[in-house]
Amino acid sequence: MNRGNRIFLSCFYWAFVLYVFVPLLLMVLMGFKDSNFIGFPIRSWTLDWYTGVFNDAEVLSTFGYSIAIAVLSTLVSVFVGTWIAVLLQGRSFLGRTAIFGLTVLPALVPGIISAIAFRIYARWLGIEPGMGAIVWAHAVHNVPFVALVVMARLSTLPKSQIEAARDLGADPFIAFSRITLPYLVPAILGASIFCLLLSFDDFVRSFFLGGYEPTLPVLIFAKLRSGMSPEINAIATVALILTAVIGIWAERFTRRANKESDA
Amino acid sequence: MTYDASTRRDGQTIGRKTADRTFWGRLSSWGPYHALMRLVTASPRRQFLILAALPVLWVLTQHLGPMLQMLRVSLTDAYPVAPGVEQSFTFDNYMRFFGDSIFWMPFFRTLTFAAVFTFCTLIITYPVAYFLARHVSRRNQMLMLLLLLIPFWVGEIVRTYAIMILLGNTGAVNLVLRFFGLIDRPIPFMYTSFSMGVGIVYLTALYMLLPLYSALEKLPKSLNEAAADLGAGAWTRFRRVTLPMTIEGISSGCTLVFLISTGFYATPVLLGGPSTTVFAETIAGFFHVAGDQWPTGAAFATIMFLAALIITGAFQKLMNMLRKGDTK
Repeated sequence: MNRGNRIFLSCFYWAFVLYVFVPLLLMVLMGFKDSNFIGFPIRSWTLDWYTGVFNDAEVLSTFGYSIAIAVLSTLVSVFVGTWIAVLLQGRSFLGRTAIFGLTVLPALVPGIISAIAFRIYARWLGIEPGMGAIVWAHAVHNVPFVALVVMARLSTLPKSQIEAARDLGADPFIAFSRITLPYLVPAILGASIFCLLLSFDDFVRSFFLGGYEPTLPVLIFAKLRSGMSPEINAIATVALILTAVIGIWAERFTRRANKESDA
Repeated sequence: MTYDASTRRDGQTIGRKTADRTFWGRLSSWGPYHALMRLVTASPRRQFLILAALPVLWVLTQHLGPMLQMLRVSLTDAYPVAPGVEQSFTFDNYMRFFGDSIFWMPFFRTLTFAAVFTFCTLIITYPVAYFLARHVSRRNQMLMLLLLLIPFWVGEIVRTYAIMILLGNTGAVNLVLRFFGLIDRPIPFMYTSFSMGVGIVYLTALYMLLPLYSALEKLPKSLNEAAADLGAGAWTRFRRVTLPMTIEGISSGCTLVFLISTGFYATPVLLGGPSTTVFAETIAGFFHVAGDQWPTGAAFATIMFLAALIITGAFQKLMNMLRKGDTK
């Protein structure tokens, strides 16, 4: 019985792996098709679509634009999120639950509603649609993830180290910079990569807060609405490789950093 | 305190002097910094207030602010206000929702779809999480979980497009079915609730998988063994031990997936058709058209948010009751 169960579950797992990988593999393959028409079977192959991506100034500048937005918004999220985590972790004060609830709020608001709310608020603040507005919306949306990851890491910081530093005459800021911050580095890096990916992949906020210049997901969406073409496959594949490589690298990096600081 | 190489060579100059030569030493003995720190740390109360100021200000103005502003706009008759026009308070935007079926039909469709897709995601990912947590060695667990994480770093639009290629009339599924002679003409999967479901489950599976996995992983194996010793069969063990013990994971996974599925905009636009218009498209419509309809859009977004909160809140309550009832 147990054996049968095991085999069944194992098959189920691998079927699930196929479900999550096959669509992406097909998309990558379709980028090599030597035809304007999307669909199987693929009879002749070409690299033109892929070389086209790197020769298309518009697409390249969109990549740059998306990456710039991701980096800027991540810097803000990490700074604010870490600060919030330091305030919330291990302290009890009046209103802590409320602050915590408000901290995670942006992560729980469904995408379209958060985009609309940001759009209205940006108008009220006088922020024009465009890069600034997208950076701001991404930064706010990603703060909860940073705060949660950093709080988890902070909860394992040995308090005695801070106390020792304070006893030796370090003021709170120096104790934080020299003890707490180095200890948080793996969590902060992990959270940063996560924010970068969230921002780079985000569609709905970029779509509603963007000006005339599209981010990469918005560009792909716009191209898709005017028809499927292997060109889109090539663009999407380059984006896919970029995100997957960063993700895998971050995963390995944070795991190693965690191991080192645990030892 | 650290000693650098030069001081170790001359042997004696240690302690304070060396420390002062480091960046941090110099900083702490720098006059203005010292004065500032004294000011900040004068009392624990002041120190706390300075630490708390930025987070409190941030969550109030940036996290709560947009939601409150949306609510405020939803209760006005015009936004942005044209010069010379008086803005007035009104419930009309909310009334409009109930007045026309082209508004509330997509609303109920979205909630139904989200509930069904959430359930599908649960059914699909539970065995996967169960397999990973119970049947795989520790070492391989992380690797096999990582394997599943990779596709989820890829964005919503790219993965939606991948599903379009999979399910199209000349897509891979139809190709395979035709190859085996199961069909003569392609099955039109695309632009139906089916293609939308495949896409949304594909996008949200991870948010279900991770809470389930961590709940299952925490579950001690001895509990199941004890149940088996007492004569419980496999199904009874699952129903009476595993399921109740992982209800917390189920509850948080379902909540997350439900909230995320109600918020999709691009995926229903690309994978759905005219008969599957979701509320996100209705809301977005008010922000695209040239005419000024923002207050109505804001009201509809508020209705959607409240409905999603009430449903997930009720669901979590129910799950809590189930758990308490079972452990009694």
